[in-house]
Amino acid sequence: MTSTASDPIVSVRKLHKSFDKLEVLKGIDLDVRRGEVVVVLGPSGSGKSTMLRCINFLETFQSGTITVDGRPVGYEAGDHRRPLGEARNAKVREHVGMVFQSYNLFPHRTVIENVMMGPVKVKKVARALAREKGMALLAKVGMDHKADAYPGQLSGGQQQRVAIARSLAMEPSVMLFDEVTSALDPELVGEVLKVMRGLAQEGMTMIVVTHEMGFARQVADRVVFMDGGVIVEEGAPGDIMAAPKTERFGNFLSRNLDQ
Amino acid sequence: MDVAPFISFLTRYWPVFVDGLQITAFVAVLAAPAAFIAGILLVLPAVSGWKGLAAVVRGFVELMRNTPLLVQIYLLYFGLPLLGIFWGAITCGVIAIALQHGAFLSEIVRAGIQSLSVRQWEAGQSIGMRRFAILRLVILPQALIKVTPALGNQLIVLVKDTSLVSAIGVMDLTLTGKVLIERSGMSFEVFIAVALFYLILTTSLGIAARLVETFVARRYA
Amino acid sequence: MFPVLQSNLPYLLQGAVYTVALSAFVVVFGALLGIVVGTIASAAPAPVRWLINAYVFVFRGVPVLVIMFLGFYSFPAVGLRLDAYTAVAISMVVYIGAFVTEAVRGAIAAVPKGQVEAAMSIGMRRIPMLREIIVPQALRLAVAPVLNISLMAIKQTSYASIVGAWELSFAAREVVERTLAAFEIFLGVMIIYFLICYPLSKAAALAEKRFSYVH
Repeated sequence: MTSTASDPIVSVRKLHKSFDKLEVLKGIDLDVRRGEVVVVLGPSGSGKSTMLRCINFLETFQSGTITVDGRPVGYEAGDHRRPLGEARNAKVREHVGMVFQSYNLFPHRTVIENVMMGPVKVKKVARALAREKGMALLAKVGMDHKADAYPGQLSGGQQQRVAIARSLAMEPSVMLFDEVTSALDPELVGEVLKVMRGLAQEGMTMIVVTHEMGFARQVADRVVFMDGGVIVEEGAPGDIMAAPKTERFGNFLSRNLDQ
Repeated sequence: MDVAPFISFLTRYWPVFVDGLQITAFVAVLAAPAAFIAGILLVLPAVSGWKGLAAVVRGFVELMRNTPLLVQIYLLYFGLPLLGIFWGAITCGVIAIALQHGAFLSEIVRAGIQSLSVRQWEAGQSIGMRRFAILRLVILPQALIKVTPALGNQLIVLVKDTSLVSAIGVMDLTLTGKVLIERSGMSFEVFIAVALFYLILTTSLGIAARLVETFVARRYA
Repeated sequence: MFPVLQSNLPYLLQGAVYTVALSAFVVVFGALLGIVVGTIASAAPAPVRWLINAYVFVFRGVPVLVIMFLGFYSFPAVGLRLDAYTAVAISMVVYIGAFVTEAVRGAIAAVPKGQVEAAMSIGMRRIPMLREIIVPQALRLAVAPVLNISLMAIKQTSYASIVGAWELSFAAREVVERTLAAFEIFLGVMIIYFLICYPLSKAAALAEKRFSYVH
């Protein structure tokens, strides 16, 4: 279970995923090292969100393997692919933070209770300690002044920042961001990206599915371009976004240039 | 419960059950269309803008929805003769059921009408239709299509509610059960049989309602 | 103005007390039964779900009056000597429980899928997820339907008089048999029922507005 800095935290091998007859992931290989920020770009329907959801086992997959911190995701390691079962899936997910496009805050709980939910109910941390740490996380995302508000009283950008704090409260080894700014009004996108940029600078391992080209260019250590269920191109943003090797990525970039 | 005596009991009294079932079906067949018509009539004042009548109808609907059907049946069956009106038990039962279910149906239809866009009214006006014509030809048909599932559910509730006519001596399925308890020497088994008959009736209606629902959805949605 | 109604009002109100007591018992325990069974239904393995499906299917498909008779005649058959009032109360709890089960199950299904995914992604397991996230939200969604079911239950307690339990409708029939003032008495009784039911139906309409969506 021990891993050195060079070992990948997330390792995806030959991942295939179909919805009924429709194959959306056609053999994905991806390694993400500790502290690395990987931004996944691609047109809608390219399979990038599905890949992210597979890493957190919110989607089953037909073949291939995923490991997080050396732990298999979804199925036993080896050839027989026995499902891990609910308890072990939950255990793996403790180490993976995920932020959703639609925030998915718990509407019946206050902001601080949302953040404390994981530590208290999953990790059995004492409430006082969880609250203290939770307040610190809320301060970090600039939401400590709304600790006792309910999610319904917040703007989308504020809700999304709370959702990030809720994930961070589990002290995950990797954070997954699934188009987290897509549902936001344009003027609210900046505040969420700023929080994510701060996390990246602190050395958090992140996989970010997004349409924000600027964020990819400035924050990513590596950009992965997906199209039609495969990884078409990957590399440092300064290299491949300046000089795309494939026509598909080039077209995608020129279409999304103004962003 | 032993199965063999139950089966022989069922076969022995089969014709009696069928008679009861027929009466239940008869009451339902009369009450359902009557309730539907009552429901439409009760919704008209509110959507036609007849303010005074709408308020009266509103009060009537609330009274119907918030009082037991049984008391309404008693009121008609035992009360009307005092006013010199002598109706049979089935007539009283059917009218009471039609009034109460009409009240519930009017609420359902009203919700359907309110869910339609105001533009439907405007579209009607723009081609020179009068208010009532718009209601009859544009609004009501669309509203009824929208609330088809709720209408189906209400029909099933209505069929179950016909059991209350047994309280004023109509020999329906339920009263048949009560009589057979005295006559057949069986006890709770009788009502297991009665429950089975009702279950078959409501389930077939449920399936039929589902079919109509999918047909309507496919045709108009 | 209504002399017979006036002089018999205390007797009728006594019946109303029995109606309210029966209603309260049925609503409270029927709701509890339905919440428990409805919650189990959304977490239990398939065979348990089939059993619950059968329970809901049977009780929702049969008139409550038939369920009352069934209970009334079944309890003695299993050696329970219950008076009509108790027999009706228990039968109705099981009957109303089926309706609440269906409402709770529907409400649980109506909680957005994103809530489940968010709970899963912080490592929550199924039972704490149900307890902390799903059921609390589902119960809000279920408030309006359960209030409407309660309204139905109160009105249905009047059918207990047919089985022989003494409450408002039974008292009304007694008074009518004695006085023959059917119109006056049944109209008066209708108004008593209305006074009991109307606040609840207003509350249900309010709850529908207030709780019918999750932000």
